[in-house]
Amino acid sequence: MPATKRLLLICVLAVTSLAAAGALAGTYLDLEDQIQEFTLDNGVHFIVLEKHDVPVFSFRTYVNVGSANEIRGITGLAHILEHMAFKGTSEIGGSDLKNELKAMAAEDLAFEDFKKARLELIPRIEKLQSKYDRLVGGIPADRRDSYGEVEAKIHDLGSDIAVDPSGKLTITHAPGMENEEVENFDLSGEEIAAVDFYVDEIRPLEQEFAEKEQEFEDAKDAAREFVVTNEFGQIIEENGGHGLNASTSSDVTRYHYDFPSNRLELWAYLEGSRMADPVLREFYTEKDGPVTEERRMRTDNNPIGRLIEIFQNQMFMANGYHHSTIGYMSDINNISRADCAEFFKNHYHGGNMTVAVVGDVKLNDVKKYAQKYFSAIPAGKPSVVETFEPEQLVEKRMVMKDPSQPLYIAGYHIKNVNHPDWPVYQVISDVLGQGRTSRLHKRLVKEDKLAVTAACFSGYPGIKYQSGMLVFAVPVKGKTGYDLEGVVNEEIQKIVDEGITAAELEAVKQRTRADFIRGLRGNGGMAEQLAFYQTYTKDWRNLFGEVEEIEAVTLDDVKRVAAEIFVPGNRTTAIIETEEDAS
Amino acid sequence: MRKLNRIQAVGLLVLLLVTFALSTTALAKKPWEKIKVPELNEIKMPSYERVELDNGMIIYLAEDHEFPVVDLSATIDVGSIYEPADKVGLAAMTGEVMRSGGTEKNGGDALDELLESRGMRLETFIGQTDGGAFLSCMKEDTRMGMELLADILRNPVFPEDKIKLAKEQQKAAISRRNDDPMTIAQREGMKAVFGPEHPMARHTEYATIAAVTQQDMLDFHKQWFGPDRMYLVVIGDFDSKEMVQLIEETFAGWAPAAAELPADPEILDLPRTVNIVDKDDLTQSTVLMGHKGIRADSPYYAGVLVANRILGGGFSTRLFNEIRSRQGLAYSVGSAPGTGFRFPGLFMAFTMTKSGSTEKATDAILVEIQKMLDEDVTDEELERAKDGILNSEVFNFDSKREILNRMVMFERYGYPVDFLNKYQESVKNMTKAQVREAVNAVWKPEQMTIFAVGNYGEWDGDFSKFGPVTMVDITIPEPALEIPDATPASLEAGKNLMVACREAAGGAKKFAGLKTLFEKSELAATIQGMDLTFTTEKSVVYPDKVHTLVKTPFGNQSMVLVGDKGWAVSPMGNKDLEGEALSAAQDELKTDTVGVFRNLDDFQCQALEPTKVDGVLCNPVHVSGVGDDYQIFFLDAATNNVHMIQSPGQSPMTGAPVTQKVFVDEYQDVDGFHMPKVIRLLYDDELFGTGTIVEFKANPKVDQALFQK
Repeated sequence: MPATKRLLLICVLAVTSLAAAGALAGTYLDLEDQIQEFTLDNGVHFIVLEKHDVPVFSFRTYVNVGSANEIRGITGLAHILEHMAFKGTSEIGGSDLKNELKAMAAEDLAFEDFKKARLELIPRIEKLQSKYDRLVGGIPADRRDSYGEVEAKIHDLGSDIAVDPSGKLTITHAPGMENEEVENFDLSGEEIAAVDFYVDEIRPLEQEFAEKEQEFEDAKDAAREFVVTNEFGQIIEENGGHGLNASTSSDVTRYHYDFPSNRLELWAYLEGSRMADPVLREFYTEKDGPVTEERRMRTDNNPIGRLIEIFQNQMFMANGYHHSTIGYMSDINNISRADCAEFFKNHYHGGNMTVAVVGDVKLNDVKKYAQKYFSAIPAGKPSVVETFEPEQLVEKRMVMKDPSQPLYIAGYHIKNVNHPDWPVYQVISDVLGQGRTSRLHKRLVKEDKLAVTAACFSGYPGIKYQSGMLVFAVPVKGKTGYDLEGVVNEEIQKIVDEGITAAELEAVKQRTRADFIRGLRGNGGMAEQLAFYQTYTKDWRNLFGEVEEIEAVTLDDVKRVAAEIFVPGNRTTAIIETEEDAS
Repeated sequence: MRKLNRIQAVGLLVLLLVTFALSTTALAKKPWEKIKVPELNEIKMPSYERVELDNGMIIYLAEDHEFPVVDLSATIDVGSIYEPADKVGLAAMTGEVMRSGGTEKNGGDALDELLESRGMRLETFIGQTDGGAFLSCMKEDTRMGMELLADILRNPVFPEDKIKLAKEQQKAAISRRNDDPMTIAQREGMKAVFGPEHPMARHTEYATIAAVTQQDMLDFHKQWFGPDRMYLVVIGDFDSKEMVQLIEETFAGWAPAAAELPADPEILDLPRTVNIVDKDDLTQSTVLMGHKGIRADSPYYAGVLVANRILGGGFSTRLFNEIRSRQGLAYSVGSAPGTGFRFPGLFMAFTMTKSGSTEKATDAILVEIQKMLDEDVTDEELERAKDGILNSEVFNFDSKREILNRMVMFERYGYPVDFLNKYQESVKNMTKAQVREAVNAVWKPEQMTIFAVGNYGEWDGDFSKFGPVTMVDITIPEPALEIPDATPASLEAGKNLMVACREAAGGAKKFAGLKTLFEKSELAATIQGMDLTFTTEKSVVYPDKVHTLVKTPFGNQSMVLVGDKGWAVSPMGNKDLEGEALSAAQDELKTDTVGVFRNLDDFQCQALEPTKVDGVLCNPVHVSGVGDDYQIFFLDAATNNVHMIQSPGQSPMTGAPVTQKVFVDEYQDVDGFHMPKVIRLLYDDELFGTGTIVEFKANPKVDQALFQK
């Protein structure tokens, strides 16, 4: 931190709160001096804070890539790749690498075949199916039930079927052998036509598709023969790893766990090799299984998740925030291992990686093991997304009718985290919608008793690119999203017209100071903050500058920025309107 | 003076120094096994103090001067298990309104402003088996924070507006409780495992929330809150002596809790039931299965913990590897060992799987559990499980808060301070045979109650292979109408609506002109699996004579009312009606629908907010003033006919108070009257029976002999 900046910080603190400034300056400025850092030749940046009270350490690996870096066709890939980072390396997770790679290559071919079949055959089948449905529609109503049985029979039999002109359904065997009668349904002319159409036109395509699918399944099984299931996680677990997890957002991918400090070298080996030398094994199994299930759980089976995805699509039209991190189902289906390897190569390199280690470690040990195990990661330039979100100009509004409970969301475009107005956004969203004294809570929850929750935050869905300020409110039983909308807008307009009070601004500053200190406690919390600021602002020292930036916000800043963002043309609104169940 | 029990700077806790050589077999070491693992640095137990005040409050303190912050958490011996069954939600709302409502000195809203302007946090809550409070503040605000905390814990006022707010939030939560399948499975699954009435399984309903009053909260607070029920854990930048003084000062003179602590509710070993919630908007199923487990002081504690690490409690387990990775059946699968420190835990397994593999995944889990009973685990699995437990043991000591909260827990439930050391010792020496013994003693797959939520029609099986299936209805019982205070306008509107209703039914003159009445109705009901029909013949001579004959499959019964006398006739003989029974019979004559129409001026009729009932827009009118009870007439907004009448009633089976609803499904026109023909009778929204009015005669001849004893 430049000396002038620090001086300024101390001055600002001294002016606003003498006692607090003394206490703060005495602690976290010292802390800042204890933080050390180094960069490997390949660009991987390490930040280390030694804390020796308990023999454990926490780390965060931040990879500067998220779903915003995906282009159409590969949405969901950053998240899939995060899953793949638990599948091991050329040394971990497989029993016979050479043969495994062969089996994986065969699996890739089978996938391409299957994908081709899906993209070509399914539309053809669907087209024929609608023709078939018309044929079935011609069957008299009183025969529909019995025809349903015929259909079921045909599907059950699964073998070759023929129908003779007298209306008998038969199983056909190899040429020359006599056909075998199944059951005489006494089929009428229309029914015979329908069965014929199905047997001649649709079934061959269905069978071809089923074959491709089976070949793909077989290839997956063959590749899985060489997998030592979850070996990577198991090593961490049996060595006492704690809190093993990872997450992907629009902006970044994070990996973390805590380890006993005598396993620093083992950690460096595990973390370095999964970033340098991953084997993308079980790629299709993971994609078709857990990743797909996760999409179902978060989005398809969750009414709010469904709305949020559409909301995001509508609010952000151009930049990387347009699509959700989980990705579109068809992209999840179509992404290949080659796509994944390509994405990995483009983004998982030294220029995109920050590792923060906090705990009972020594800088020199971290350096030594980092050199040894992270140097194989290739160098590269930090990933950037160059499509900017254009100005919105038109107000957007969407209503989802759903049997679930009602909801109100509104989003306003704001600039990104490195813009000078970012702290002003934070002040505005804090006063508007954080905590029990926020304006939305006081008005909607406490006074008008219209909502159970009413809140606002800046940084949706990410903060790296042009971002959003989100307001959301959940109505009390019996009220609708529409009931909340007018009141929310009224409260927002008050800020535009009158700004906020000096007391409100002072309270935000006080809370920021307190939360800042709380955030520094614990190894994991500290590692998280360091890696976060390094990744987003290119310098972890900005962690210590955040309080100062908030301190500098004035009442006029708030009025100016509120007038800029809170205009209808910058707003996207979404409402869930509860639809009574048809039953 | 207080007892000062100082465990000064304990220095080093003799923990097992975890020095497990990574591999002893060492034939071909894997690359990661070649990495040297030095001895772990000593785990230093942080120094702390335990102080017991004269008033019974127990305080654990640990100084930490790294940051100028003080954190305090209080554990309180209170919980929703102590609330009455018809007021579920009382405990949770008490815990919430304590803080949101504040005290005489600091009202809730003022408190919010004060705390947030200082960046302080102060919260209170009451959970199922514990209550608590939490304070976090900057060092310089310590005294203020402590005074606010003590004031809130001692003198909450529970103002009505904050109670109303808490109730709204509870009601919103009820309305949303079926949105998430996992929540459904957990909530309903608890009822299946514990039994529906168990204090740890019951949950809020609109009726239980509505039943809670301000007085209930004041009483609940008085009963369960006191210094003798409090355990404080204070960590941060303070001097322990001064802190204890401050606590003594701020809590001085607080009376002990008024109620004795009751014995913990017992958890029974119940046999398996199989329960399904059919929700056709889901594409994936959530399955929970479980049964009662053991307390941590059981000799099998370490054994099942090791076993669960192998079965499903971690990243790389049999369930995960088999069901998620190998069979690809589920995204999420796992198990819990079934141990608890206070109560026996629940041995549980769960999965989320696609609809088409629901039964397969459930079956596969049960198979894996059974294998744990039938076969020894492998040496490798055992070693890994032990390594995992022992190597991560250091994380039990990486946070002062965690360490001290554990101390509190051990003290509350009577565990020795060295419990963890002993546990580690048992894990270290655990053999395969011991694991299997523990598993066989505690886990009983055939006894696991199964609870599944999903789109049943899409499943790969109907679950009957696991036992007789019960379909569980999770429809949320509708809230009772809230009756706002009557206003002249709502009373006038109500009267006008009832007059319109009477017009639709025949008009004031027709009802006033009734001298006698005969009505015969049949009610078909299913009671305890039997289809039964009751026939009722009612003869009325206005104004004050009624003869009611009820023919039941078990014999006939009649009841006669003549002015201020009445009697019942049954196969056992005559019995005079007296007191309440007599006045109830008199009231009924005046308050049945015909009675209301004849004497409309005697009633108070208050119009309520229009609402939809089963899709029909209705104008509800609250009718009261004659007799003790009220009725709400839901008048079809389009026709003014009665669509439904709701009133407080009694269950004919148990006599318990219920909400009675009578729906009119079909009308008939007789002698200028427009009267119900087909009705449905519901108790607490469950269909009890269907009735038909087969005969309705205005001014018939009535045999006066009916009214002779």
